[in-house]
Amino acid sequence: MAKARTFKGGIHPPGNKNLSSGQSIRTLPAPETVWVPLCQHMGAPSKPLVLKGDKVVRGQEIGAQNGFISLPTHSPVNGTVKSVEDFPMPHRRTGPVVVIETESEDGGQVFEKWDDYSSHSPAEITERVKLAGICGMGGASFPTYVKLSPPPDKNIDTLIINGIECEPYLTADHRLMLENPDDIILGMEILAYTLGVEKCLIGIEVNKPDAIKIMEEKGCSVLPLKVSYPQGAEKQLIDAATGREVPVGGLPLDVGVVVQNVGTAAAVAVAVRDGEPSLRRIITVTGRGVVSPANYDACVGTLFSDLIGKSGGYTEDVKRLISGGPMMGISLYTDGVPVTKGTSGVLALIGDEVRDVVESPCIRCGKCVDVCPLRLTPNLIAMAAENERWKLAGEFGAMNCMACGTCSYVCPAGRYLVHYIKKAQDAIRAGKEA
Amino acid sequence: MAQTRRFELAMPPHVGASQTTRKIMFDVVIALLPALAAATWFFGPRALLIVFLSAATAVVAEYLCLKFMKRPVSFALDGSAIVTGMLLAFNLPSGVPFWLPVIGTAFAIVVGKQAFGGLGHNIVNPALLGRAFLMASFPILMTAGWIAPESWKTGTEGAWETNGIVLEEMSTIPEADAISGATPLNVLKQTFDLDASAANAQLEGNTSEAEGLEERAVSIRSALSSNSTYMNLLIGRTGGCLGETSVILLLVGAIYLVMRGVLELRLPISYLLTVAFFAWVFGGSGWFNGDPLFHVLAGGVVLGGIFMVSDMVTTPVTPKGRIIFGIGAGLLTMVIRRWGGYPEGCSYSILLMNLVTPLIDKFTLPKVFGEVKKNG
Repeated sequence: MAKARTFKGGIHPPGNKNLSSGQSIRTLPAPETVWVPLCQHMGAPSKPLVLKGDKVVRGQEIGAQNGFISLPTHSPVNGTVKSVEDFPMPHRRTGPVVVIETESEDGGQVFEKWDDYSSHSPAEITERVKLAGICGMGGASFPTYVKLSPPPDKNIDTLIINGIECEPYLTADHRLMLENPDDIILGMEILAYTLGVEKCLIGIEVNKPDAIKIMEEKGCSVLPLKVSYPQGAEKQLIDAATGREVPVGGLPLDVGVVVQNVGTAAAVAVAVRDGEPSLRRIITVTGRGVVSPANYDACVGTLFSDLIGKSGGYTEDVKRLISGGPMMGISLYTDGVPVTKGTSGVLALIGDEVRDVVESPCIRCGKCVDVCPLRLTPNLIAMAAENERWKLAGEFGAMNCMACGTCSYVCPAGRYLVHYIKKAQDAIRAGKEA
Repeated sequence: MAQTRRFELAMPPHVGASQTTRKIMFDVVIALLPALAAATWFFGPRALLIVFLSAATAVVAEYLCLKFMKRPVSFALDGSAIVTGMLLAFNLPSGVPFWLPVIGTAFAIVVGKQAFGGLGHNIVNPALLGRAFLMASFPILMTAGWIAPESWKTGTEGAWETNGIVLEEMSTIPEADAISGATPLNVLKQTFDLDASAANAQLEGNTSEAEGLEERAVSIRSALSSNSTYMNLLIGRTGGCLGETSVILLLVGAIYLVMRGVLELRLPISYLLTVAFFAWVFGGSGWFNGDPLFHVLAGGVVLGGIFMVSDMVTTPVTPKGRIIFGIGAGLLTMVIRRWGGYPEGCSYSILLMNLVTPLIDKFTLPKVFGEVKKNG
């Protein structure tokens, strides 16, 4: 194994991955009712194509792509549309959903099966990835086909598959690598073929030696990475892998790299080989607030409460419910929200697991500056934002922040640094000046 | 359908390091205890009492300020006031009257810290500001009262030596029932005066007097650079401010702070190396013949380097800025020691650098990831 690489800065939060890392993926049948969000991807929500009472079949397009940064949405079940309404979401307050009463869950192959992807042109594959509604499954949910359509002047030479899963607790990507490496590898080959790149790596943190072993045995070129948060952040991964820094305001394309999550690669494989759109995903349900932590393969539109129910329900002292990981995940007041293509985990945490400090003034210890993977000065940006001096916050580099939460993690004063910086970003985007 | 259970809402990240401001402050208090023990051993129980009075005054002053400003009074016990009180006491001669630390600490907290908005908002180190205030207001009390080490045990009986040199102006300190002993830096400063007198005598043609003065300066300097002096300075058996003398026990505190992840090493290391470098350049009688070891061990640079140059609030947050701060403070310390009006320049050098901290931060902001660097 090559020497593990890393990036500058970062932290080492307790992983807590052993709660669920030993649990094989359990495939859950679709629940009686599914709430399929039309806003699962980043960008404009899909335009609903069905009405109350319509019969839908599995894989049928129920929401149409609505712009460039947008995707179509498909029904994960055969059934009847009960309504199209607004519903609480894990990643935003509410969003449009298509509520479908499930009758069965067979079928789903709506596209032609392509046994030999290389007999189809890259453009055809990109179109398939778009029609299948595939978005980044690592969390940001960016439409994947957009990443496969680089402007002609960008020369892409490296594809990196992201199997790092640096968020504590989460084990979905880890289990996927252990249990379904073939789909990942096929997806990786398809993506490399589509982009026309020779160099193709899979980045895995060294705390998953079993995954590294399997991938290497399968002939993959594995890039071992040191355990450090946020190792899986796109820019940090590219830096560790290639030594290239994505320019400020730029995209990985600008340094000739495309990064895709392992789950995305597997979804691409399914869409091309089996002709099925993106209807399911792997989700880790964990934390000490849930009775039996597990990894599930569930269809989109399954409510978090269903997943928790499959895991034996909550423990008595559950305190916080989070969609995603503990570093960047969003806390929810209710478990009545549906799984989306970007839901990597559902965390139920007890009081001992969450940090509970009363915010106090910045003592300028500089720890946030030392750990920031983007080399920002979070305390100074936050202080500017707290005083609503948006322009100053911008001068300190507020817009570069990716909200990884590393600064807040180390802050001894318990300051909501990420929150202040996001506030500054919103104000700057809204054109406020002060 | 959605259950009725409701969960608490909070902003990410939901997990965090266990370190808190309070823990940091009490770690600093703990790190000061070995040096306090040395002070008590060498200068008597009154040293302990001075530190206690100072720390207690700090907490009371902080509490009253917070109460007056209608802020949460629990901040008074976050440990930062205790640190300020202890550090101020550490910077006083151990023979000062007991009301002096009380006044100094009250000033440090009320004017140095709370007037600027309290914890995190003060511009200069409050303990050092308190000391500067006392120096300006009570210069005689602040420059006498150096208790000769261990003289409190035998009272005013017996003759006392400091670093191999019996000093003519040695006198008793009635309040402490002890004998005053000069600080090593005072002695060094005297050699510079002797040099100057010798040069004058030379000009007046009085060669034999000049030679005598020169000889005396050289003999004192060689005594200061002897191994026995180094050893005394290391363990703290020397005159000086209450908490500054025992270098070895200050270092024990520093090691504890490093182990606890509290002490950021860029500041103290750049400061101490700079002091050593300029001590060699101009800390002796001429150029490039100074004694770096003596300059680092004597006086307050180790105390200042560990506990005040690295004070979080008043020093830069950027990695480069911290090194610049340390270099600037080290240079100023040596300039004051060599040419300034005081034998020791540690505290004023840090105060001066505190004032330029915002500027240093501004000009040393790290290059944001992906900025400028060319890819290829």
